[in-house]
Amino acid sequence: MKARAAVAALLIAATYGPSAYADPDDYVALPGVEYGERELELRFGTATKSGEDRASAASLAFGYGLTPWWATEVYAKYNRSGSEATRFDAIEWENKFEIGEPGQYFVDMGFLVELEWANDRAEGYELRIGPLFQKDFGLVQTNFNFLLERHFRSDEHEVTELGYQWQVKYRWRPEFEFGLQGFGDVGKWNDWDPHDVQTHTVGPAIFGKFPLGGQQVFKYNAAVLFKASSAAADRTLRAQLEYEF
Amino acid sequence: MTVRLLVAAYALLGVTAVLAAGEPEFAITLRDHQFTPAEIRIPAGVKVKLVVDNQDAGPEEFDSHALNREKVIPGKTKATIFIGPLAPGRYPFIGEFNATTARGEVVAQ
Repeated sequence: MKARAAVAALLIAATYGPSAYADPDDYVALPGVEYGERELELRFGTATKSGEDRASAASLAFGYGLTPWWATEVYAKYNRSGSEATRFDAIEWENKFEIGEPGQYFVDMGFLVELEWANDRAEGYELRIGPLFQKDFGLVQTNFNFLLERHFRSDEHEVTELGYQWQVKYRWRPEFEFGLQGFGDVGKWNDWDPHDVQTHTVGPAIFGKFPLGGQQVFKYNAAVLFKASSAAADRTLRAQLEYEF
Repeated sequence: MTVRLLVAAYALLGVTAVLAAGEPEFAITLRDHQFTPAEIRIPAGVKVKLVVDNQDAGPEEFDSHALNREKVIPGKTKATIFIGPLAPGRYPFIGEFNATTARGEVVAQ
């Protein structure tokens, strides 16, 4: 029965085109920009799903706040499937634009533009864009992002897909905040996949920041995500470490 | 019909006036890695605008976990920081690059 369901899911996925499943090391982008700040960033994620090989991904990045409203970051991305060797996956160029000042409007806003060059030329280029939102309620911070993703010049059918990211956190102390994070993909932006093909994950997350003196700061956030739909990975562990200077 | 138009125009003018009025503004100066005044009293329940004038040569980061604000201010420039509406209370902030001397508090009352 399970095998039949898996085959059906594969057939549906093939019919509806490649899904923009979030990488296991994906993170919730925030709308803010810190002008003049440089950062080294390490992201890591690993996902398990019964009957499938473990999928892992890691990224190393350098970022810079070019202007008070524009931050740019370049990632070298790696991935690994099952017991295969770790392989270089892609170069990603991320640009984040802050719209207005935090607290100026009812909701803080930004806009994300990511361009990825895959090492495997058959995957073509990937463009991911979308608005970033943040709203604070006292010590509770909420974020929600809609992201559109499309592959160009790839061997597979090119469709524009819709994903989302969200988090709610309680800003208890600078060194330790806690809350929930969620990620999901619904398929083609204007013709969503059936629910059993969509991927939705949710789980507890922790966050924190340690000043290291002067302009140096260490930040972290990590989450354990559980599947909220049958097509999603059973469990995903993801983490992001940032050294700002 | 005319009355409705007048009401709509009045409402529009009212909204425009509110938007144009803006938020109450409070000035803070940063010199020799110290904030002046170090205590800023603002009305509770109202969004306000802090204008921080960094008169030092180097950059400083206005940082407040309580206010959830982080803003780098280059040397010899001003920055605008929106905060609130806040519940009555004290909200500390620091200049993160010189945290031992650059310290202050927003007091909402």
